[in-house]
Amino acid sequence: MATDLGPASTGFAELQAAFSNGDLDRCKLLLSRLKLELTKLPALPPVYESSSNALQQLTLARQVLELSVFLSIKQGDEAAFERNFSQLRVYYSDARGLAGLPPSESEATLTALNLLRLLVANRIAEFHTELEVVPPEVQAAAEVGQVVQLEQWLMEGAYNKVLDARERAASDYFKYFLDQLSSTVREEVASCSERAYSSLSVADAATMMMLSSEAEVAEFAAQHGWEVANGRISFKPAADKDAAAASTLPSLDIINHCLDFARELERIV
Amino acid sequence: MGKEVDMKDAPADEKAKEAEKQPVAVPEPAKPLAVLRSNLRLINNAVAQKETRTLFGRVLRQTAAVRNRLSARDVQAFLTSSLPASSSVAQQLLGALKQLADSAMDADGAAANGVAAEERDADAAAVSPPAAPLPEVEVYCYLLTIMLLIDGKQYEQAQAAAAAALAHLASFNRRTLDVLAARIYGYLSLAHERTGSLASIRSALLGLHRTAVLRHDDVGAETLLNLLLRNYLADNLYDQAERLRAKAQRPDTSRSMQQACRYLYYLGRIRAVQQEYSEAKDCLQQAARKAPTSANGFRVCVQKWLVLVRLLLGEVPDRTEFTAPDLAPHLVPYFNLTQAVRGGDLAAFSAVASAHESVFRCDRTHNLIVRLRHNVIRAGLRRTSLAYSRISLADVAAKLGLSSVTDTESIVAKAIRDGGIEGLIRHEEGTLEAARPTDMYATSEPQAAFHARIAFCMDVHNEAVKAMRYGAGGGAVKEFEDATALRERQEEELLAALEEMEEDD
Repeated sequence: MATDLGPASTGFAELQAAFSNGDLDRCKLLLSRLKLELTKLPALPPVYESSSNALQQLTLARQVLELSVFLSIKQGDEAAFERNFSQLRVYYSDARGLAGLPPSESEATLTALNLLRLLVANRIAEFHTELEVVPPEVQAAAEVGQVVQLEQWLMEGAYNKVLDARERAASDYFKYFLDQLSSTVREEVASCSERAYSSLSVADAATMMMLSSEAEVAEFAAQHGWEVANGRISFKPAADKDAAAASTLPSLDIINHCLDFARELERIV
Repeated sequence: MGKEVDMKDAPADEKAKEAEKQPVAVPEPAKPLAVLRSNLRLINNAVAQKETRTLFGRVLRQTAAVRNRLSARDVQAFLTSSLPASSSVAQQLLGALKQLADSAMDADGAAANGVAAEERDADAAAVSPPAAPLPEVEVYCYLLTIMLLIDGKQYEQAQAAAAAALAHLASFNRRTLDVLAARIYGYLSLAHERTGSLASIRSALLGLHRTAVLRHDDVGAETLLNLLLRNYLADNLYDQAERLRAKAQRPDTSRSMQQACRYLYYLGRIRAVQQEYSEAKDCLQQAARKAPTSANGFRVCVQKWLVLVRLLLGEVPDRTEFTAPDLAPHLVPYFNLTQAVRGGDLAAFSAVASAHESVFRCDRTHNLIVRLRHNVIRAGLRRTSLAYSRISLADVAAKLGLSSVTDTESIVAKAIRDGGIEGLIRHEEGTLEAARPTDMYATSEPQAAFHARIAFCMDVHNEAVKAMRYGAGGGAVKEFEDATALRERQEEELLAALEEMEEDD
């Protein structure tokens, strides 16, 4: 006996309408109601009961979940993103083999967004384990490829490329995550510059760290304890730090070592 | 007196040479059916003595030795002789074997089969089946059948037989069945793996693992955990594999070296994907060391992952690791990869990666190799910075094969911060200046290195002294008794030597 998809489908249509209008509160309300409707459908995982409109049920459920993920990005709710995506993941992995289920158009985008979210939160180990599960055809998609490329650039340290990617982001959803990334990147560039340069002109520093005005640069420099003089920032050279460390003897260590040696020598009969 | 001694020695030598010249009779290989019958007796003994490990170990070893020469007819004869004809088990297994036996009949020559068949018939006539066979015997029969079906590549029948075996096993809770049951689980997994239906037995394996742990079935629990890990890793589900491994109860000591090796290998793979390379290297090295020399395929797999993990850690494996005779042909792509990484040559690296891409995808190491790009750049950067005192960033970019100079600048800056290279960038001139090497002896590094070595030597010395003091058997009292006996013996020897000296004089 086929379950009636009527209430679920109408609910979904309403949700789509509200989403395109940008009415986020109404979307939230509709979504919770819709999820309740979905629980009544028996063809969904983990039951997977087959019936005449099992495929439609699955497709509908998948579309609802995809929309909920997009919604959570719009609302900036990362916990909701994670929850909804873990529900969606079942459709991409286990239900992929089910005969007749058409591949979803947003799959590549959503997979890429999930990977990006992990990258920005610095959960690199999870990023890699997720990447392993992504099937090759999705991996070949443009968005996923871009995110993988981004991870490589971050590892190598080509931060200017990372910041460029933000300008060329595929859609607003990517921009949301990439914004969070830019502040992390700025800190990284700052710490790299400290060690690598002895001094830098203010203009160059501004371009490298993506700061817009001299005032901002001055503020940033003050935060990190750099000296600004004559339009140049001088970083404390690393040599000074080493010299400071070398001048103080690690006396406690030396004393401990010598006592150990004395004890061992005394033990010799 | 000297001459007498020589004469006595000569005849003894001649006798030894004669014995060697006689050819040593080579013992005939035992007939498979005879081996199976002796196994039957061993099983009966084992169950009577409630002895699980050693006797079953012998049974399995003998079965393994005979496996190649086992034919369907042999097993059929064994089944008819050891199980009563009316048992459902016998009927199932005989039916499963029938197809295999028929195909074997066609393949072999009639003459050879005729001789063997006569012997089998004679055997069969001699032994009559017992009325109520032990469950162990039935399970052993299942095991033989499944083994034969898998060797004959009849994977669907093997799966069916294994499923029937599982159903049969579920009704028993005998510890003596543990070892045989563990083998059957292994073959079940193998049969499904060959037909690509591993995911379907996952829940069954999980249930079996739970039961094994509850019953304190150590062998079964260990085997099943490894089978589950293999199942998850076959689908690249590293996350789930790690979660299972972290939560599952493992027995404290491992019952089987092979299972321990497998566990280390799977753990090493999971850690490598999670970017914990030092732990991964430890596990994989231990697995490689403990693996038996005959397990060639396993060692090749472990070696591949070990090479990649070492490259990712920044150390370059030795050339000798790739030239071991039985491993060498499989490791060729990885050898080329190592050369590219060592040379710091991005172009060569991309060439090797694309040329051998199918191999890497098959080994599931593709994603790890993508991560190696970073190491290639680092290695190239190190060589350049060591070789030049001052070099323009444009030249660095050209050497590394990178396209833009601003990228190179950021990459070099990060490398300096991470401690990969020493130097300073001059932004205006666009050059990288290598730092003057600091005087190592002015720092406390030599002292730390010496102290590490001294501590190690002292540890060795103290351990040796402790071992000498207490001896292998433990307990100081025993030592004293031995010492008195030792002293007496030494005195006797001294007296004897003194007497000899007097005689010589």
